Amino acid sequence: MSAMEDLVYFLRKNPLVMASGSFLLVLLLSVIFAPLLVNYTPIELDITEKLAPPSRDHLLGTDYFGRDVLSRILYGGRFTLAIGIGVVSAAFVVGVVFGTIAGYFGGIVDTIIMRFVDALLSFPALVLAIALAAALGPSLTNAMLAVAITLSPQFARVARSQALSITVKPYVEAAVCVGVSTRGILFHYVLRNGIGPLLVHASLSLGSAILQTASLGFLGLGAQPPLPEWGADVSLNLQFIRESPWVTLAPGVAILLTVLSFNLIGDALVDWFNPRQRKED
Amino acid sequence: MLKYFLRRLVMLGPVLFLVLVIIFSLARIIPGDPAASLLGPGATNEQIEALRAQLHLDENVLKQFLSYAGGLFVGDMGSSMKTGRPVFDEILSRLPATLELSIVATLMALVIGIPSGVYSAIRANSSFDHVNRTLSLVGVSAPAFLLALILQLIFGIYLGWLPVSGRLSPYLIAEPITGFIILDGIISGNFDVAWSAFLHVLLPASVLAAFLGATVGRFVRTSMLEVLGEDYIRTARAKGLSERLVIFVHALRNSLLPAITIVGLKFAEMLGGAILTETVFAWPGIGRFMFEAIKNRDYPVIQGNTLVFALLFMLTSLIVDLLYGYLDPRIRKRMSR
Repeated sequence: MSAMEDLVYFLRKNPLVMASGSFLLVLLLSVIFAPLLVNYTPIELDITEKLAPPSRDHLLGTDYFGRDVLSRILYGGRFTLAIGIGVVSAAFVVGVVFGTIAGYFGGIVDTIIMRFVDALLSFPALVLAIALAAALGPSLTNAMLAVAITLSPQFARVARSQALSITVKPYVEAAVCVGVSTRGILFHYVLRNGIGPLLVHASLSLGSAILQTASLGFLGLGAQPPLPEWGADVSLNLQFIRESPWVTLAPGVAILLTVLSFNLIGDALVDWFNPRQRKED
Repeated sequence: MLKYFLRRLVMLGPVLFLVLVIIFSLARIIPGDPAASLLGPGATNEQIEALRAQLHLDENVLKQFLSYAGGLFVGDMGSSMKTGRPVFDEILSRLPATLELSIVATLMALVIGIPSGVYSAIRANSSFDHVNRTLSLVGVSAPAFLLALILQLIFGIYLGWLPVSGRLSPYLIAEPITGFIILDGIISGNFDVAWSAFLHVLLPASVLAAFLGATVGRFVRTSMLEVLGEDYIRTARAKGLSERLVIFVHALRNSLLPAITIVGLKFAEMLGGAILTETVFAWPGIGRFMFEAIKNRDYPVIQGNTLVFALLFMLTSLIVDLLYGYLDPRIRKRMSR
């Protein structure tokens, strides 16, 4: 069996991974086909129907402005998935570029980059993201940027250790001898051979990227109304929790399920790449 | 040990310097003219100029940084733009509330995390293990504000067992001694105060403990499994020690060491979660202070809070490193070299 088939087999026999995968697939399909699934748009107001409990017409009820909660969740899911992928991609690119350079060149370049990484890691992640987002000004793009900055140092660390161990390999030495350009070596040898752990880390980061951006949204630093974003929707309806808990809880539970699914898959991938752990299962 | 401690402190220097640079830069990345955007569209030119002078924005950057960093050494973090009071005093008066909350949360996390992690490892791949591992992933995946709301709804509103906001019942007055109300209540013999404060801390601490306890549990499980596979455990079993002795004396002690590291590292991350939790529970600590500062765009306060969070983080990792060295003879030997 090839390594890939092996991995697929390993993941398929884990029921939680299968459940998470199915959930994410259903979520992906329903946010794409949201207009076909719900009869309301996420910003359609209907004051006469405000804070209506779940019914056949509104499966998850309506919020204070009479907007359909289900439709806000489905349209908001588009942002959530885009946030996860966008934030992790940005953090990946920034972190991997700096980490690979630090690991490959070593010396003073390494010291400077890694001290900076240490400094960024000296903040609790959410605190740094909040401070950055507050400085950049409240908007979804700025919140994503802030979270990407706080996630990138970890990518830099992984990329650096990969680069350190690959740089001393004979094939890199050979490439240097035959005159491959530094950029060529970095891309074709160092990055390509060290990509595995980086991708695992990326899959693990998806959950925290979504969670943190939602937290910024909750604090009012992320998506601004009337954009349907899950974190912001929770805080928007906070005052109605007593009478109409579904308005507040539904987007919160959506965050939980999505983050949990990403984390379950990421967790299984970590197990796969850790042979000692794999043997036990 | 002393040598290691000193070396660790010296290493902290450059990182601390960069941390200050980052926090200082925060106020400079505000798009456009910071003073104008902080005051909003209604401000007159005179007001903007006055604020620029107050924030020292009219001097050159290097000079600004030096006076900022210099001020920090004498506890000068600037003044709140909202209240005009010194940021340092404001933070200092709120710090005990946050520390009380996080200490209670840490204790709860250890009480839940360690036994469940150990039991999961002993019964690896049992149904308890599977449920426990899944629950711990739920613990790290749940947004702190969602957990907070659910607990408020169940225990505060539906069952009515526990208070859902503040630190103390409004009918009681605590004499501030240490600032930790539970402790103050016990010291001054006012047990009503201590009990009320204890009830108030339970829900918010549970939210933070869910995250930390889940992380600790996962970590203890992994390190316990690793230790249980070691030769000396086989030896201990082979010479006929009871399973209880093997697990509690030989395995647990060795597997708890790495768990200390994770508690230290995640403690600070939990403090980040305190911003969300304190906001939902109206807990008067620095997390809620940070939230209010964001609403008011009170930049000196945001900077001051960010610095305090970073310092707490650096302090806990320093303590953890030292504690780890102290507890593990192998590392102690390597350090003194």
